[in-house]
Amino acid sequence: MRDTFRGGVHPAGRKELSRDVPLREFLPTGEMVFPLSQHIGKPAKPIVKKGDAVLVGQRIAEADGFVSAHIYSSCSGTVKGIEKRRTLMGAMADCIVVDNDGQFTQVEGIGQREDVSGLTNGDLLFRVQNAGIVGLGGAGFPTHVKLQPKDPSAIRYVIANGAECEPYLTCNDQLMRSQADAIVEGLELVLRLFPNAEGVIAIENNKPEAIAAMQKAASGKSRVRVLPLKTKYPQGGERSLIQVIAGVDFPISKLPADVGCVVDNVGTLYAIQRAVVYNEPLFKQVFTLTGDAAANPGNWIVRDGASFAELLEASGGLKSGVELKKALVGGPMMGIALGSLDVPIQKQNNGLTLMVEDANEIAEQQMTACLRCGRCATVCPVGLLPQPMSDAATKGDYDRFENKLYGLECIQCGSCTFACPAKRPLMQIFKEAKSEILARKRAAAAGGNK
Amino acid sequence: MNNMLNISSSPHARDKWSTAYIMRMVLLALLPATLVGVIHYGFHALLVILVSVATAVLCEFLFDKLCHKPDTWKDCSAVVTGLLLALCLSPSVPLHLPVLGSMFAILVAKCCFGGLGKNFINPALAGRCFLLISFGSAMSSFTPDAVSSATPVALLLTGEQVNVTRMFLGTTNGVIGSSALALLVGGLFLWAFDFIHGEICFSVLGMFTLVIGLFGGQGFDPHFLLAHISGGGVLMAAFFMATDYVTSPATPLGQLVYGMLIGLLGGIFRLFSGTADSFSYCVITGNLFVPLIDHYIISKPFAYRRLARARQLSAGGQPWYKRIPRPVIVLTLTAAIAGLALSGVYAVTKKPIEDQKRAAQAASYKAVLPNASSFETVEAADKAIADLNGAVYGTGFGRVKINEVFAALDENGDPAGHAVSVTSSDGFDGDVTLAVGIDPDDAVSGISFTQLNETPGMGMRVDEDEFKGQFIGRSVSKFTLNKAGGSTAEDEIDSVSGASTTSGAVVNAVNAALDFYKNIVKGGA
Repeated sequence: MRDTFRGGVHPAGRKELSRDVPLREFLPTGEMVFPLSQHIGKPAKPIVKKGDAVLVGQRIAEADGFVSAHIYSSCSGTVKGIEKRRTLMGAMADCIVVDNDGQFTQVEGIGQREDVSGLTNGDLLFRVQNAGIVGLGGAGFPTHVKLQPKDPSAIRYVIANGAECEPYLTCNDQLMRSQADAIVEGLELVLRLFPNAEGVIAIENNKPEAIAAMQKAASGKSRVRVLPLKTKYPQGGERSLIQVIAGVDFPISKLPADVGCVVDNVGTLYAIQRAVVYNEPLFKQVFTLTGDAAANPGNWIVRDGASFAELLEASGGLKSGVELKKALVGGPMMGIALGSLDVPIQKQNNGLTLMVEDANEIAEQQMTACLRCGRCATVCPVGLLPQPMSDAATKGDYDRFENKLYGLECIQCGSCTFACPAKRPLMQIFKEAKSEILARKRAAAAGGNK
Repeated sequence: MNNMLNISSSPHARDKWSTAYIMRMVLLALLPATLVGVIHYGFHALLVILVSVATAVLCEFLFDKLCHKPDTWKDCSAVVTGLLLALCLSPSVPLHLPVLGSMFAILVAKCCFGGLGKNFINPALAGRCFLLISFGSAMSSFTPDAVSSATPVALLLTGEQVNVTRMFLGTTNGVIGSSALALLVGGLFLWAFDFIHGEICFSVLGMFTLVIGLFGGQGFDPHFLLAHISGGGVLMAAFFMATDYVTSPATPLGQLVYGMLIGLLGGIFRLFSGTADSFSYCVITGNLFVPLIDHYIISKPFAYRRLARARQLSAGGQPWYKRIPRPVIVLTLTAAIAGLALSGVYAVTKKPIEDQKRAAQAASYKAVLPNASSFETVEAADKAIADLNGAVYGTGFGRVKINEVFAALDENGDPAGHAVSVTSSDGFDGDVTLAVGIDPDDAVSGISFTQLNETPGMGMRVDEDEFKGQFIGRSVSKFTLNKAGGSTAEDEIDSVSGASTTSGAVVNAVNAALDFYKNIVKGGA
């Protein structure tokens, strides 16, 4: 089996900043804000009202439909109200605001280990859905949906994604080092749903300690193996992993399940284990606070709803004498730039990278005309031709972009933009073109329905 | 947090590669060839390079300034263009040539079409072709030691032996950047570090070698092939010209097609055009096909490549030959089929073409010997020609070959003189072949051209009676060319004004014919 996919880039990892800092728990003291839409799908519906007392692990909003997820409180205190607050995407959104009493009093029954060998598949899925688990790799897709494909017997691989290919981030590394057994147990729970599947734990080879820990935890388990992978971005992309492990790629219109794969982040598997075995819903997760502007880069267990600013302060703040240029939720390759740190941490967030320089700003100054060097096509992990695509998109030739050049297949990993020697914002152009094409399609469909 | 932080779309990181970085690497790769050229050809070569580069940079700078465009000269692309152009020039060119060439390259071929990334043909080659067309003689005179002599490829084209080792090292007559070894080192460096696409350079070389091997007349003789590859800018074109990003296709398959097209044209031009400069035209022709190739050859994303998926499905330690991409296999087969088809066409058309040539030859013999009604072979002459085996005849006639000699008989069967067919390779533009008629009294009875591709209005005027007529009726052992004109002496021939090269070639050819007639035909009779 190959140890990597085709294409990809080698951004500076910078993981040494925080890779060896063990996980610490961060207990916020300030006001807690829980956005109702933290996942892909419909926003949850609040089930508390102003003045209600809540406890840690209490459900405060309920999933609205199948593709949605419950939301749990991560603190104890009083509901202040349901208000419009600014979230990390920059817009105002409905949030449940809770006055944190700082006691962190838990709902009863959380944290007791339970024998789950007798659980049926239905029970198992119910517990996952009940815990409000979403994909912790970044996208936040409700996990119980992913675990219920049309034909569970057709699933050949359950892939535990521990690649952590995003530069700077190290929290999954630390999680794998410290909770290897729990992750393997979570993986085995998922494997119970898929009788014909093999569990593969995929880890980039820049994490030898994590690989060793996972190998130790997986030894003697017949259905689980550890697969070290080449360190290359986007190795941890769903489709990159499937290319390597199952040997297939699939169009963007399909799902991993269509080629017999289920991919879950190691953090998600850990959450599944906590939910199923300890009855603990998802309200905290591992998180890396790092970057060249951070005084004390490190790995944390953070509670949803706390503000990034408070976490930064608790960690020791900014390095003295540096100016914070950019704050990224996630890492530099796929992270979302924050306008302000005063926004709440959400379930699927796994890092905050504080940058002293803005590569995009510098790139804008250095931009030259496209040389047609073809590097973008060489690094594209899905085999697209970014240079002709950007030509078509800037000319407004969306037909060629979509139908001849397969522009909608772009997974927006940003490798082309990273690699472009002319410093052109390729992926940004594709993002705009894609949303324009999809908007036109929606408009056409709406017109047709009238 | 009072101030808003910077917001922008991901990714928030960039690679160290930049346009200027790539250009600097290309310059580094050209350094060995530049050094060898300067060391071998001396100070004037260095001057040519400096003038060319300086002009290129200055032109780009001034254009940007005058057109109020952002400064682009700092990206080093103009330096690359200037250097590439200089390396393609003879070390002895007058200095206004690199100036004009660079100006054409940068101002016309590059800036007028939108600057970096927008030019449709390679600017350096555009500059070179501009000079080749405008200053043909200065461009093709290679006189490093003040001794004019032919380039190795020019010699190779006449079927002569060349010193491949010297060609490979670049210590021979040629352009400044003619060291094959230095170009190869630079080119492989660029390829190994992913600065150029191997699909292009190796398909150019592969296809060129294939064509030369199939039709060069000497099969796949390594010595012969290496001589062809080492000379005439093949390596320069394959590694530095054809691989220019802007003017080459975007997909690997497109690049293979493009490279093979250039290699094919290169081989054909090399073998059949008779000039040593043809590779510039091949690459430019290839450049012109790029928009077409890019429009039709689009690679699909991995998920849509059926064969690739099937191969991946049966993954696990597969042997290396199964990993050869399908386009490579398809193209190799296409090349083989195209090669066979070409050789088939060549074989079929070879005889008719020769018959036609023979008829033209016969007609020309009749034209130069008015009294002749039939011809017979001359045994001594045929033997001597066979002994020469295509080599240059005699000394002092330049690169002249005797093709055939016939004895003519009149209506009564009495001797009516001899016709000698002779080819000079010293024409301004390729070979000049002519028939010389010599009457029984050893006087020239007429000359007639069977192959003449000189400049219209200049070299072509040797075919006019004003020039040709000068030979008729004169019986001398050797003619001399009078460039000044107004000759009176029996053995002097006035040159066609402005075409002394062609005139000289003709006079030499006639002299060779007379010499051969006197020493071999009469001497042997």
